[in-house]
Amino acid sequence: MKTKRIAQVCMALVMTTALAGCGGGSDTITVISREDGSGTRGAFTELLGIAVDDVDNTVVTAEISNSTSVVMQSVAGNTNAIGYISLGSLSDEVKAVNVDGVEANVDNINNGTYKVARPFNIATKEDLSELASDFVTFIMSADGQAIIEEKGYIKASDNGAYTPAGLEGTIVIAGSTSVAPVMEVLADEYKALNSGVTIEIQQTGSSAGMTSAIEGACDIGMASREVKESELAEGLIPTVIAMDGIAVIVNNENDVENLTSEQIKGIYTGEITSWSEVK
Amino acid sequence: MQKAKENIMHILFLVSACISVIAVVTICVFLFANGVPAIAEIGVFDFLLGESWKPLENQFGIFPMIVGSLYVTAGAILIGVPIGLLCAVYMAKFCPQRVYKILKPAIELMAGIPSIVYGFFGLMVIVPFMQKLAGGSGKNMLTAAVLLGIMILPTIIGVAESAIRAVPESYYEGSLALGATSERSVFFATLPAAKTGIMAGVILGIGRAIGETMAVVMVCGNQSVMPEGIASGIRTLTANIVLEMGYAADLHRDALIATAVVLFVFILIINTLFSVLKNRNKD
Repeated sequence: MKTKRIAQVCMALVMTTALAGCGGGSDTITVISREDGSGTRGAFTELLGIAVDDVDNTVVTAEISNSTSVVMQSVAGNTNAIGYISLGSLSDEVKAVNVDGVEANVDNINNGTYKVARPFNIATKEDLSELASDFVTFIMSADGQAIIEEKGYIKASDNGAYTPAGLEGTIVIAGSTSVAPVMEVLADEYKALNSGVTIEIQQTGSSAGMTSAIEGACDIGMASREVKESELAEGLIPTVIAMDGIAVIVNNENDVENLTSEQIKGIYTGEITSWSEVK
Repeated sequence: MQKAKENIMHILFLVSACISVIAVVTICVFLFANGVPAIAEIGVFDFLLGESWKPLENQFGIFPMIVGSLYVTAGAILIGVPIGLLCAVYMAKFCPQRVYKILKPAIELMAGIPSIVYGFFGLMVIVPFMQKLAGGSGKNMLTAAVLLGIMILPTIIGVAESAIRAVPESYYEGSLALGATSERSVFFATLPAAKTGIMAGVILGIGRAIGETMAVVMVCGNQSVMPEGIASGIRTLTANIVLEMGYAADLHRDALIATAVVLFVFILIINTLFSVLKNRNKD
């Protein structure tokens, strides 16, 4: 009898704690962000005015994920979530919302109406090897840019076709995890054209990639953001190889189709906390 | 000739033994050489007790992460220890041979599953379940505790089972002879005698839980704020390091290494507890 009473009290306590912890109705927005220092987060917060004067005002209760795939998975599994990913990684699992009434696609980034777009940069030093500079020529050629478009990014150059130079050796490339997937395809294609070449790609993140390029640990550094003044001062020469849109994504079951950039900013700074406020 | 061979082998063994020691010492030196100056620069109290982690604005307070790690580990122990202990008792004392043949390899397999796989399991199965149960995003302290509770099971079961098996059969038989039932004998004669071994298992489990990274990162939400309840998201010390290491530079990077120092001290305390316990067992 006594044990039964204790068990009941325990149950009641557990239930209360669980319920108290819930907070809010099912309308509360789950904000998902990338980690501090991520190229995608840097570009997103800057473009939408969430970061002002290098102070990132992303709400502290935002859930943090350190990869594009986890952001997508989290949004796909949560009807109240909002997140942002590279447009090239977008799939049917989630829905990209229109920003200020403009759909996130290649055409709208090209004509400048979709404003949440960032450059994919590569950075090199002045004393670049002949081989590495030939690879850069390939990336910027019509052949290289075709691969970039095929992967869902926007081309950054209108150079002519590439002619293999028949060089041999090794190229080391390091940096952004966002740029790396397309760089790998570019590298494979280049190796197919120049049989004696080995290309090593290290996914270390934008800032680490720039540091390696400065220190000479790699031939080419990759960054999914603008190259910083301090990095330029160290002698890096940036080249924009593509433009990438950042898609703002919500769950497929969410009926929100359009958000203004002010609303997105409000959601990410914690001023807007429920979906009913933006519908 | 024989003598020279003897000597060469002697040196070979010595070198092998030294390599692991050197590895540990190098890690220690690296951690403390990089971490301690960073802690000094941030300020010991600002670092350990600061509640705001905004690396880009030079605010490096890891208190929310320390609390997060401790809460999640405690939760994992609350969930994992009772299940693991009862499972170990069952396997050592009550389990028919046929069931044991399935159970034992299954638990060994559990220990071998990479943590990233546990993480995906958590993300796809436990997180949606928690969304229904507690609302919100489903990524919270409870989710992480449940997942870790599952992950530490093989450690606890393994150690506890061998501890129970190591208790002389005469304890059990003596208790039976005094008129106790089989269950009573197991729980009140055998189990107390295996106490130290079981505690060792629990401590190893704590070590595993506090050091776990990849699985936790995927299910705990990673907010660097003080948790408000079991349904709020948290960030652990390990998660803090792995989330930001790739991008960090300068003091931010050193602060992450300093976070590793704190974690290292925790593990050191846990290992010391473990050896104290083991020594007490010998006496």
